[in-house]
Amino acid sequence: MRNLYLFFRKHYFYFLFLLLETVSLILLFNYNQFQNAAVYTWSDQAAGTVNGMFRNISEYFSLRSTNRVLTEEIAQLQSRMPEAFYMADTATFFVKDTMYRSEYRYIAARVLSNTTNKRNNFIMINKGRMHGVQTSMGVVIGNRLVGQVVGVSRHFSWVMSLLNKDSRISAKFKKNNQLVNVEWSGGNYRVGSVKEIPKHFEILPGDTIITSGNSEIFPEGVLVGTIKDFTVLPDENFNSARIVFSTDFNSLGYVEVVVDMMKMEKEELKNSFQSK
Amino acid sequence: MTVRNSIRFIGLVLLQVLILNHISLGGYVNPYLYVLFILWLPFSTERWVLLLSAFLLGFSVDIFSNTLGLNAAASVIMAFARPFVISMISTGTDFEPTSRPSIRGQGMRWFLPYAVTLVLLHHFVLFYLEVFRFSEFFPTLLRVLLSSAFTLGLVFLAEYLTVRKR
Repeated sequence: MRNLYLFFRKHYFYFLFLLLETVSLILLFNYNQFQNAAVYTWSDQAAGTVNGMFRNISEYFSLRSTNRVLTEEIAQLQSRMPEAFYMADTATFFVKDTMYRSEYRYIAARVLSNTTNKRNNFIMINKGRMHGVQTSMGVVIGNRLVGQVVGVSRHFSWVMSLLNKDSRISAKFKKNNQLVNVEWSGGNYRVGSVKEIPKHFEILPGDTIITSGNSEIFPEGVLVGTIKDFTVLPDENFNSARIVFSTDFNSLGYVEVVVDMMKMEKEELKNSFQSK
Repeated sequence: MTVRNSIRFIGLVLLQVLILNHISLGGYVNPYLYVLFILWLPFSTERWVLLLSAFLLGFSVDIFSNTLGLNAAASVIMAFARPFVISMISTGTDFEPTSRPSIRGQGMRWFLPYAVTLVLLHHFVLFYLEVFRFSEFFPTLLRVLLSSAFTLGLVFLAEYLTVRKR
């Protein structure tokens, strides 16, 4: 017994090292990004408060680009106002018609911290459970894709940016609805990759990629990016292409969380067929 | 000594999470200057203090960048390697146990391999744990090398900025 004690005492440095390293790796692999994001709400709150204070100052330095983004968004919204449309036939369309139910609601949120330089990037926003944000909701800016909520605390949320190795967007070509997957393979934060494009399908630089609306996270038609160039892989079943993201991830000031108000209904319908 | 190290700890964590985490050159290069804390601990630091403070350092940075465990793992490995690196490169060198490693105290021929080995080790562990994929081996290696160069540049800058005061 005494020898055992002496042994531990002599080599405590190694044991302490192993202990701390194991703790770190357990934290890394268990309590990361996903389902367990709720575990560290307290650290979330602390980080949110400090980041928020710093953001209050640093915001002034990006006023110009924030303004530009907001103006663009206003322009886009104005083009959707009823006044912007030419009324071809006044008898067919009523705003309060029961045929038109709003399906999506948007929660505006301020970006507190954001990175683009890591392999796995996250964004912290200042809206949380209190404001109706829940995990796996989509996040957009205007009509452009930003990411997906992965962790929610009372006042803040963590958003997994599109710039993340675990981010996988179900998207499609605007011109013919061909379904593809969009990923980010690191490096330049403006450029991502499009996977699983069938061989027979003709790609042109400049083709627009939008969300497919299949995932119940984003509405259909949110802009993802435009094709930059592509490679033909003779030995594989699919081609792949590079895409320039529509969103400038380096100048995010305000974003919107997408709330799908018919999500419950969609899931119930799905479950009713999967119950066996 | 403890007070000075504590202030250094807090200062470096804040510098890292508020400013350096947002710096990137070409999407590849980010500096992790917070490791300077481990490099600068006095020679006489108890080894358990070394490990524990490295863990807390990494853990604090992790909390602010939503990478729980990542920086902690890299820092602990770096702290673990520090005594071995020191004993390996210090044959024949004598130093006061209360002083901290510095260019002025031990000379460039001592400090350069000391800092390069430890920073490279830290960045290597950090970037590969973050990516955790072998398919991106070479792009990650490039990130390790470029980021280490950036961090080391800042470490030497800090060395020269503080050399007059002592």
